[in-house]
Amino acid sequence: MLVRDVMTVNVIAIGPEMPIRDVAALMEMRRVRHFPILEDDEQGEARLVGIVSDRDLRAVDSPHPSARPDVHVSDPVRSIMVTPVATAHPDDAAEDVAAWLREYRVGALPVLDGEQLVGIVSPPDLLAALALPAAIREPSSVLEVEVGNRPGCLAALLQTLAQHGLNVSQLTTTRAEPEIGCFIVRVNTIDAPRVAGNLTREGWTVLWPEPDAAPPASPQRGPEVEEVA
Amino acid sequence: MTRPRTLLVDDPVLERSPFGSSHPFRAERGALTRALLEACGALHQDEVADVERLDERLLGAVHEQAYLEALIRAGRGERVDDARTFGLGTSDCPVVPGMHRVAMRAADATVSAAELVASGAAQRAVHLTGGLHHAHRARASGFCLVNDLALAIEHLTRRRGLRVAYVDVDVHHGDGVQGIFWERADVLTVSVHQSGRTLFPGTGAEDEIGAGAGRGFAVNLPLAPFIDDAGYLAAFDALVPTALSAFGPDVIVLQAGADAHWRDPLAQLSLSGDGLDAVYGRVIDLAERCCEGRMVVTGGGGYDAWRSVPRAWARLWARLAERELPDELPETWRRAWGERLGVSLPTRLREGTLPDLDARATERAASHALAVAKRVAARLTPLWRRED
Repeated sequence: MLVRDVMTVNVIAIGPEMPIRDVAALMEMRRVRHFPILEDDEQGEARLVGIVSDRDLRAVDSPHPSARPDVHVSDPVRSIMVTPVATAHPDDAAEDVAAWLREYRVGALPVLDGEQLVGIVSPPDLLAALALPAAIREPSSVLEVEVGNRPGCLAALLQTLAQHGLNVSQLTTTRAEPEIGCFIVRVNTIDAPRVAGNLTREGWTVLWPEPDAAPPASPQRGPEVEEVA
Repeated sequence: MTRPRTLLVDDPVLERSPFGSSHPFRAERGALTRALLEACGALHQDEVADVERLDERLLGAVHEQAYLEALIRAGRGERVDDARTFGLGTSDCPVVPGMHRVAMRAADATVSAAELVASGAAQRAVHLTGGLHHAHRARASGFCLVNDLALAIEHLTRRRGLRVAYVDVDVHHGDGVQGIFWERADVLTVSVHQSGRTLFPGTGAEDEIGAGAGRGFAVNLPLAPFIDDAGYLAAFDALVPTALSAFGPDVIVLQAGADAHWRDPLAQLSLSGDGLDAVYGRVIDLAERCCEGRMVVTGGGGYDAWRSVPRAWARLWARLAERELPDELPETWRRAWGERLGVSLPTRLREGTLPDLDARATERAASHALAVAKRVAARLTPLWRRED
């Protein structure tokens, strides 16, 4: 998944000369937490020169220990903007950007295609995208199966499910060890214990759900033993 | 004191499963329960109502025409190229000759039950082989072909002008009914179920609340596996009564699936027979409080078919019709139906064995469920108060 698929494209940028109090008012009105700051270069092309966050704005004229005594709300935002700016490219992997946000300890990355600002990417964008593999696409049951970490093992599981006439609408991995991986598979049946039972009898290790008992000798006669009162 | 007028809608066709006798959906559960009630003297001939044919136009209001055509053609043995896009010909909903007719009959029966209540002929009407809540507008799913519940609700709302609260205590999320009334403010859908993270169909998360005019009128209470009676009832009490009294229904439609029982082989909740009975009792009490007891009740899931289900549904009928059932179940019933089904039927109404619960798992499930119930109530209460 790429940054271009998850980023917010309607990005609001400001100029470096805007007074801090106006920036704060605009941020409140637009309900965002970051403004990239653009300034024209000698050729008249807009260039990213800084970024300001709601947190930077709040420190101004506050008793906060990091507040600078020489900066006031009437000053231009240039005096507090963070520069240089950590950025992402539209073709960066979304998973990488999630790691960078933690590494740089920032709340958003402007996305630059060459010198042009094309978007901004922040945790909500990434969370929505990274949660997608868990989205329910069709009525289905979940199976959790151990699969060997060797060529053909996962293919064999999928082949087995296909032979049982089941459609796989979701496949995610939860645990990857050198020898064994653990896969969550969503299949289009309400009767997951029966599938788990069939897989178990074919030699698979099924972690969820608990497999059904051995198949009844006659479909008409399920194993029914009444408890003693 | 006179008993409320409670009727059972039944028909010999309803003993047949649309998918034949080797399929896990056992339609005989209704007949088995009826036979048990008759053997106990808790159901009389004059309490059984016939099935009326439903208006075909009602079908078109709930299901897409293309799906209905595919269903009928498949049931007639004609070739349907895109059957799978309609959920037909799958392992849950295999194509079986005549299946459409059985499914339509079940739909007729639930609509008949709804009309008995709407017309005042009964205060409560029951159809035990109904409750096919997974059928979507254009898709068969989870053993369900025609959404009898949605048809009944459509009849009650559009034909009879009633506000309907739908309460679904089947262990699976009531996805079909929720989806069909997703944007409707005159139908409140409430589903209490094992979470979609661990169980079919996967939906029913707490943030599914309806959309458009129906925003706030879909209520979901997903539960973690292994929740027990006390945990379930505490979470139910923290959400469902508030929702129903805020909504103010004219009638409650209850899908009384019995698969939240600990013995159910398709799911992992840990309710006892007494627990299920208490859940049904809660809904009946709410109907008493909100809408003069008017209820349309169907069965639903329940795959411990010969042991837990007839006992649960017999107790449900006993509550609805205000009858007493003996704890020792009639030998005549056990013998006749045991032979017919080739199984050993229970000797007592109350179960002798209780689930062997892992205290830590049930406690965690209970604590989580209560938190979810409170969150949903807090989020939706402002939406229910909306006056328009």
